[in-house]
Parts: sequence; C-alpha cells; structure tokens
Amino acid sequence: MAEAALTPAPGARSTKPGAAREATLYQPLAGAGAGDGRSPEELREAALAVYETAEAPAWRRSGFWTTSLRDLDLAALEPRHPEPGAGVPDVAREALGDEPLAGLLVQRGAGVVHCELRPEVAAQGVVLCSLEDALRDHRELVQAHFMHRLTYDRDMFEAAAAAFWTGGAFLHVPRGVRVELPLQVVYVIDEAGSAQYAHTLAVGGENADFRLREYDLAAPFEGPALHAGAFELYLEAGARCRLAHFQDWGAEGAEVHDVSTHLVRVGRDAHCSWVPIHLGGHLTRQHLELATAEPGADMRHRGIYFTEGSEHLDLFTVDLHEVGPTTGDTIWKGAATGRSRASYEGLIKIEVGAQESHTYLQTHSMMLSPQAKVDAIPSLIVETDSVSASHGGTVGEIDEALIFYMRTRGLSREEAVRVIVEGYFEPIVVQLEDSSLEGLVRERISAKLAAAAADIEAYAAAR
Amino acid sequence: MADLEIRNLHVRTEDREILHGVDLTVSRGEVHALMGPNGSGKSTLANTILGHPSYEITEGTITFRGTDLTEADPEDRAQAGLFLAFQYPVAIPGVSVANFLRMALNTRREEPIGVKEFGGQLRHAVDLLKVDRQFTSRHLNDGFSGGEKKRCEILQMAMLRPEVAVLDETDSGLDTHARRTVAEGVNALHTETGMGALIITHYQRILHYIEPGFVHILLDGRIVREGGPELVDQLEREGYDWLREEAEVAAADG
Repeated sequence: MAEAALTPAPGARSTKPGAAREATLYQPLAGAGAGDGRSPEELREAALAVYETAEAPAWRRSGFWTTSLRDLDLAALEPRHPEPGAGVPDVAREALGDEPLAGLLVQRGAGVVHCELRPEVAAQGVVLCSLEDALRDHRELVQAHFMHRLTYDRDMFEAAAAAFWTGGAFLHVPRGVRVELPLQVVYVIDEAGSAQYAHTLAVGGENADFRLREYDLAAPFEGPALHAGAFELYLEAGARCRLAHFQDWGAEGAEVHDVSTHLVRVGRDAHCSWVPIHLGGHLTRQHLELATAEPGADMRHRGIYFTEGSEHLDLFTVDLHEVGPTTGDTIWKGAATGRSRASYEGLIKIEVGAQESHTYLQTHSMMLSPQAKVDAIPSLIVETDSVSASHGGTVGEIDEALIFYMRTRGLSREEAVRVIVEGYFEPIVVQLEDSSLEGLVRERISAKLAAAAADIEAYAAAR
Repeated sequence: MADLEIRNLHVRTEDREILHGVDLTVSRGEVHALMGPNGSGKSTLANTILGHPSYEITEGTITFRGTDLTEADPEDRAQAGLFLAFQYPVAIPGVSVANFLRMALNTRREEPIGVKEFGGQLRHAVDLLKVDRQFTSRHLNDGFSGGEKKRCEILQMAMLRPEVAVLDETDSGLDTHARRTVAEGVNALHTETGMGALIITHYQRILHYIEPGFVHILLDGRIVREGGPELVDQLEREGYDWLREEAEVAAADG
C-alpha cells in the first residue's frame, strides 16, 4: 500500500504543533461534567438555559478544516412523535434480520416504538426500557449515573440534546450477570424535518458481562433532519462489555445531521471493547471518549468510517487515562469516495497521576477519489511520567501494483479494488466478533464500492 | 502454431525503449528458459506478456492460440490461460489465500465453484506442492517470508492451471531447499497438466532441477542466442561476457 506516514511519533510527550492545536480544541468531558448530584429535571433546566443563548457551532482545525452547522435551519426541525401504534420501521427490521437478541429497544423519531427483553434475561434483573420510563420506574439507578460524565454546555447541540431528549434508552446489567445474546438499541429517523434528541444510558454492574449495540439508521426521505445524541456507558469494577455503534444515516435523499457525544467510562479491572462504525451521514460531528478511570481498566477501541457522495464526517476520539495502571489500544480505518470529507482525530490524553498507563493509537485513511479529502491526525497529551504511549497515522491511495497482481489472476480492475478495500477493513471487521453485524458492515462496504466504481476508476486513470 | 507467439516486440517505458524486437514462442508441453544478465529486459518481457500498463508496446504482437492479445487487458490474458509468477509478489492484507484463489477460479467459470470441488482442488494442489494446509488461511503474502511468497505463487499456478506460465526470477532469493521445492512444483505441474513454462532466470541454479528444452539469451533487449540445454552449461562455464563481445562485434559489422 502506498502510504505516507503523516505523523508517526512514538514517545512520551509530543511537542508537535498538531498536539498543541488539539490541546486547545479538546474540551474535556471529565471535570466539567454534570455529575454533581443534580436531578435529571434540574439538568434539563440548566441545559435549556445554555441552549437559549448558544450560537450554532463551527469546529475549526488547522485553518482548512471546518465543520459548521450554521447553515442548518433549526426552526424547520422539530421532534416528531410516532403515531400511536407505530411499529418497528422496515429499515430496522432489515438491519436486524432474524438474529436472536437478549433485548431490543427501538426509537423512531422522538418516541420509543418497541421495547422487549427476553423473560429469562429480565429474570436475572436486567433492565432495558426507555429512559423516560426509567426515570419513573428506576429513578435511583438512573439518578446515580445520568449525565455523570457528560456535559451540556460545550455547544448548542449538546445543550439541545440535554434539554430536549425524549424517549431514550436505559440499560442496566446488574452485578455478576452475564448476558450472552446482544442487547440492542436502534434509533431511526424516517421523515424530513425530524429532530431526534437521543439519549442512551447504560450501566454494567460489578463483574457484569454483556454485549451492547446501538444502530443509527435512516429510511429514505427528502430533506434535512437532526440527530443530537448522547450516549453514556459506565462499567463498574470487573465488568466486561463489547460495545458497537453502527451509524448509517445514508438513505436516499436523507440529509441527517448528527452531532453526538459518546462516552464510555471503564472502572477498576473492567474491560470495554468498543467499535464505532460510520457508514453514512450527510454531516456528522461526533466526540467519542473512552476513559480508563480506575486502576486496571483496559480498553480496546476499533473504528471504521467510509464516506461517499458529499458527506462530511468529523470524528474526534479521546483515549483518556485518568489513573494508572491502565491500558488502551486504538485503531481506526477509513476510506472516502466521491466529494466526501472525512476527518479523524485521535487524542491520547494521560493525566497527572496516571503513571503506568500504556496505550497505543493508530489511524489509517484511504482516498478513493480525487475530490475526496481525508485527514488523519493522531495526537498526544501526556501530563505524567512512567507511561508508554505511541501513535501514528497514514493516508494512502490504492496501490496499482496490487491491482496489476490481481488482474494477472483474472480479476477485473473493479473486483481488484473491491478486494483491496474490503481487505483493508477486514482486520477491523473481524474484531467485532459478531457475525450478524460483520455481515451488515461487509454488505454496506461492498455496496458503497459498487456505487463508487466509476469514480474510483476515473481516479486511477487520472494518476 | 505455437500457443504463445511473440513477434518483433518493441517495448518502452516513459523514458526509453527496453525491448528492441523480441521473437519468442512457447507452446504447451514445452519448458523454455530465458536467461540474461541484470538489466537485459527479462522482467519487462514478463510483465509485458501479461499486459502491465506501465509498459508500452510500440511495435510487434503477442498472440496466444491465434488470438491477438497485444492490447488485451491483463485479466483477459489470464483468463485465456497465461500466468505470471512474480519476482516480487505483493501482499494483499485482509484476503486469505484460499478466498483469493476461489475468486480467481470463479473468473474462469460461468457458475461459482462449489465448496466441495474447491476444497478438493485445494487439497490436491497443497499435497502436490507439499505446503502446509494452514498456509491457505493466511492473508495473501501478508507477512510471508521470501520463500513462502514464491511457494504461494506456485500454489496459485497449480490451482489456476494455466496453459503457459511465465516465472519471473522465481528462484532468486531462495535457499537451496526452497528452490528445490519450487522447481519440483513446476515439474509436477508440467508433468500433470502439460503446462508450458517460460522460466526467466539470472542464474543457472534452478535449471539443475528443471531441464529446459529451449534456452534463449536476452541481452540489452534482444535475443542474442538460442539453443538447447547445453547453452546453460556453457553459460555456467563462461558467463555472459563472450555473448556481449559477440553482440558488439555483430553491431560493429552491421
């Protein structure tokens, strides 16, 4: 693969200009959070006050990369509550197939339309319900965790999500409970003008062991929509969770703007394997933060994105080490076709007192079109000693030598490109360890490549 | 009529002409050796036979079983029955050897190959070449040693069963043991399927294991001498210098 290393800089403290830039861009969730004992209602009030005076945000980076939501007409968007009796939309059924699940919660627009939990799982004390219901039925549990590590005042959309959330999902896997089948949350947007303020709160008690998936899906419609989402997962001592986000807002005609914050807090000797997958969205800006917050916490973070058409994706991930010893391991891979823009920034932050943290981050991007723009920026802030942290990033194109090789075996140019790009993502896909989701991801990547075939060919011819 | 016919082939890259009128024919059942010092144009010829886009044919033709392939896409040449074992095989991460072979086989068929049939063919090839079965579940050439890459080329050849295979310096960089394994694989296929082979090599060593019926010597983009296996022994004794001198004399006379 013809890859040019952008900023491979193993070592402790980075002094590159890039890192300094990030330090100013990074607005921490920790410390400025909402977890100060206020009730959910009080937090709503506080967020509303911020929202009323906030301006639509724009994120600027390094002079040439801007993600702006100033053109989104918020007045034209509103929460759309599903009709009474509305069921699970087809787009969700198709994505889920007939795979057996431990539990399923589906939100359509502003309201939850489906919630079920296997009786034997419920009998173990697991709770899966809308966050609205949880506030009523499991208030103490919710209040102990709700927005404990999230903020509502970094930007207007964060404030809006905290002020206006409806429906939502609440999952609690109690101490010592192991759930084999996946627990599934789905958010669907299926009409133009819809503003979906989503909030998922999940808690894994001591030594709990479970799988959680959140799918964000759009059905075809014409026009703009908004998903302002918050996701928070707290893993208590010894808990283990395999977490996946699958985002595909890329339905025909849909212009979904996604501004979301996802946080995972990993407690003492707990482990989280988190795989976010971004396969479609008109404009996406997400802050994904994985905090190893107590000694022995361990995380594995793998991510995929693939943008097409005129999509704009701006991802900011944080591998945060608050104490030591903790360990982390992050790999992201992306590709871009069409005129799409994809920016991935991965920050490793090791805080004062987090001695004996060991972590690693790498990011790779592949450009498949002359008009696509990709950005892969790993960065590092280390505020203590006795740590090991390394990072690296590459941006590459498809290597013609690989294509010729495969053509001499009889594959067409188009097939060869497909094999290369699928092979590029495959090492991440298999780490999902989830055959149903793996199938979904492979199918979508394959479809995107087929759709972009002419574009990719033109790029190769031009080189 | 020969299967692979190369007539008066002139080939250039962006900056210069490399082959200046090469004639060569290879038929099924025949083993040819193409020898020559470094830089004589051997790899250019190999890549051009399979249609590498960086090499431009300015004059001459390549036909295969009567069909003109001079302008054909590499995949059409492959599907017609040509194969190239690369000097430096590339790695394709994320694709297992077995999956890649299945895809390559399917390009030659109307219906995708069945699991059972494929499994049978793969077992046969693996046994024939004495490679470890585990080998086929690894990603193609990814992290392979030099010897493993070359063996993987031969495994692909055994599965795709070409009419004529071009082996570009398949022996270089191998130790004696690996070289013998590769040579035995070529011999086994030649015997079993009647495959024709054009073995391109700088050294004589591999030709101790594979006896060519025809030997061609390429020097500065021209074939300067052709003969039988005795030519290999002569080269081993005398090197390439006498050929170079002869060529210079011929050029001066011309």
